[in-house]
Amino acid sequence: MVELLSVKGFTVTYKTQWGNVRALDEVSLSIEKNTLVCVVGESGCGKSTVALSIIGLLPQGASVANGGEINYKGVNLSSLDENRRREYRGTEIAMIFQEPLTSLNPVYRVGDQIAEAILIRVAREKGKGAELQTEVMKNAYDSRSIRRPSRLRIRSTMPPELKAEVVQALKLVRMPDPEQVPERYPFELSGGMRQRIMIAMALAEKPALLIADEPTTALDVTTQAQVLKLMRGLISEVDASILLITHDLAVASQVADRVIVMYAGDIVEDASALDLFGEPLHPYTQGLLACIPSGFKDESQLKPIPGRLPDNRNPPQGCKFVTRCPFAMEICHKKRPKLLEPRPNHRVECFLYGE
Amino acid sequence: MASEEQDVLRVEDLRKYFVIGGGLNPFSKKEKFLRAVDGVSIRVPARKTTAIVGESGSGKTTLARAVTLLDAPTGGRIFFLGKEIRKTAKPKELYRNMQMVFQDPDSSLDPRSKVKDSIAEPLHGLVGGDRKGIYKNVLKSLEEVGLPEEYADRYPTSLSGGEKQRVAIARAIATYPKLVILDEPTSALDASVQAQILKLLLDLQTQYSLSYMFITHNIAVATYFSDTIAVMYAGNVVEYGQTRSVMTKPRHPYTVALVSSAPLPNPKVRNLLNVEIVGEVPSAIDPPSGCKFHPRCPYAEKICSETSPPLEEIAPGHFVACHFVEKTA
Repeated sequence: MVELLSVKGFTVTYKTQWGNVRALDEVSLSIEKNTLVCVVGESGCGKSTVALSIIGLLPQGASVANGGEINYKGVNLSSLDENRRREYRGTEIAMIFQEPLTSLNPVYRVGDQIAEAILIRVAREKGKGAELQTEVMKNAYDSRSIRRPSRLRIRSTMPPELKAEVVQALKLVRMPDPEQVPERYPFELSGGMRQRIMIAMALAEKPALLIADEPTTALDVTTQAQVLKLMRGLISEVDASILLITHDLAVASQVADRVIVMYAGDIVEDASALDLFGEPLHPYTQGLLACIPSGFKDESQLKPIPGRLPDNRNPPQGCKFVTRCPFAMEICHKKRPKLLEPRPNHRVECFLYGE
Repeated sequence: MASEEQDVLRVEDLRKYFVIGGGLNPFSKKEKFLRAVDGVSIRVPARKTTAIVGESGSGKTTLARAVTLLDAPTGGRIFFLGKEIRKTAKPKELYRNMQMVFQDPDSSLDPRSKVKDSIAEPLHGLVGGDRKGIYKNVLKSLEEVGLPEEYADRYPTSLSGGEKQRVAIARAIATYPKLVILDEPTSALDASVQAQILKLLLDLQTQYSLSYMFITHNIAVATYFSDTIAVMYAGNVVEYGQTRSVMTKPRHPYTVALVSSAPLPNPKVRNLLNVEIVGEVPSAIDPPSGCKFHPRCPYAEKICSETSPPLEEIAPGHFVACHFVEKTA
C-alpha cells in the first residue's frame, strides 16, 4: 500500500470564552492510496478537526502546537504559508461538508459552480499560480463582474467544451438529467442532488484525496445509501482516496477499508473494517458497538456506556476513557496510554494490551 | 375486534392538509394543498409501542402533531382512551394523559426556566395541588430519569444533550400520562447517549404502564424499540403490522428498499452497496398519481400510476398497500 498522506503528532487547541479546549491531542494517522478511511466518534471527539487540519481550514482561534506534521507527497503542509497552502486545496485535497445547502452559493446556477472548479483545475494544470486564477476566471466568464449580477448567466457565455465537462462531471456522480441540471439553482434541487453537486464539484478538480465530513447525515436513508454507494465506487473510478468522517459506526462498517475510532481528541483504535468490527480491542469501541440497537428488544439488551464525555478543557489525567471504562485499572488513572499495535495492522490506545 | 377496548389510541383516516400558495391575495385561485397526512389509520395498543417510520416529508411529525391536536386535523377521527377527541377537546383532560417528547430538547425546554420549573409546569397546569406536593413530584420524576436531585436548580444550558432529553422525558411523565408521543427523541443524540435514552424509555414503559407512539427515521431503532410498526411514504401508511413480521418479511417495495438501505454494523454484510433504489421522496404538493411510490418502484406497472392501492391484510395483522404484493413474497 502506498501512503498518500500522513498526520504525525498533531495537536490542536481552540481558544474559547470558556477556556482552552484541546480538540486533538497528538493525533497520528495515515491514509493510503485508493482506500476509503472512516473516522468515527461522537460529537466533540475531534473528528471534524482532523478533517479541517488536513485541508487547512481550521477556524480562527485554533492553534496548532509545534511539532505536528501533515505530510503529503513529501511536503509538510502544516509548515506552508496560506498562499502555498491554497494551491493544495481543491486540486490535491478537496472537501465536502455535511449540509450542501450552506456550501453551495444560492445565487449562482450549479453549472457555474462546477465550471469554476474545473477552471481552477485547468489554471493549475497550466502551471499558473493562485494569483493568475482570478484572471483565468475572468476571461472564461467574459466581461462579467460581481457588481453586475444580472449578467452572471452562464447559459450564453459558457464555452461548449466547458459545458461538456460540467455535464461529464455530473454524469460521474450519476446525476439524473445531467444536461438540464447545470441550469438550475441550488434551491431547485433535492438534498441528495445537492450533495451529488458537491461531490461533482470536488471531483471536477481531480483531487487525490477527498475529505467528506458527514456527507450523508442530513440525507434520508435511501438517499444516503445511494450517495455512499456512489462514493465507494468512485475510489477506483477516479483514482482517489476518501477520508469519510461519520458518527455512524454502521455506515463506516458498510463502506470503509479502514476505520479510525476517536474519543475526546485521541485516536483510540485504528484497524481494518473487518478487524475492528470482528474483534474490537478498545473498551470504548466495544461499548459503542453494544450501543447500536440490533434485532428486537425481546432478544437482545442494549448496553449503554455509562457516564458522559469528559470535559475537554480539563480531561482526566490518564486515559480519557477511564471514568466510563469497565476495565479501568490503577495505571489508567495516572498515565496516558500509548498507541500500541498488539495485532498486525490493528492499533489501539489501551493499557489492557501492554504499556 | 376484541382488542379495540385495549387501544389507548386509535386513529381513523386522519388527514392534515396545509394550504399553500395564493400569495397575499385573499381572492387568489392559485391555492394548493400540501397533503402532509393523507388518510392514515393506526392503533396504539395499551402498554405497547407503535413506531412510525419513514423519511423526511413522509408526514410522521405532522401525524403526531395532528394526533395531539397541536395542529387541528383536516379530517378523520381520533379515539383516545375509548372516546373520540375533537377540536373542542378540553386540553386539561387531554394532555394530562397524552404527553409529547420532541426531537430537539434545546427548543423544547425554556432556556430561562430552571429544570424544576420546566418539569413543574405540566403539574401546575394540568394536575394542580400545592407547591410542596408539586416539588415532591418533580424530584421523583428527576430520579426516575436518572438525574441527581441537584439538577433541579440548574438551567438547560448547563446540561448535555442527553441530560436535556432526560429532563424533557421527566416533564412528559410527571403527570402520569397513558400515552407518550416520542418524536425522534434520540435523533439529535450520540450513539452512546441514544442507547441510554432508549433503555430509560423501555424501563419507564414497564414501570408506568406507558404506551408509546414512537416516531423515527432510524430503522434499527424502530425495529428494536417497537411492537407494531407503520411505514409511511408521502403521507400514507404503506405497510403496517407486528414489528417482527414487517421487519423480517417486508412486503411493500418501499419497505424492502428502506430496510435494505439501513446500514448494518457488519462489514461482512455490505447490504448498503447493493441497494437498488433510485430517486427521492416526491413532493407532497404535486404527488405522483395512483400509488405515490410508483416512479421509484421496480415492479411498477400501468395500474400503479392510475389507482392508489388500498391497505390490505396479507397475513394476520400485517397490512400492505401494493397492487403487486405477490412480487415481494
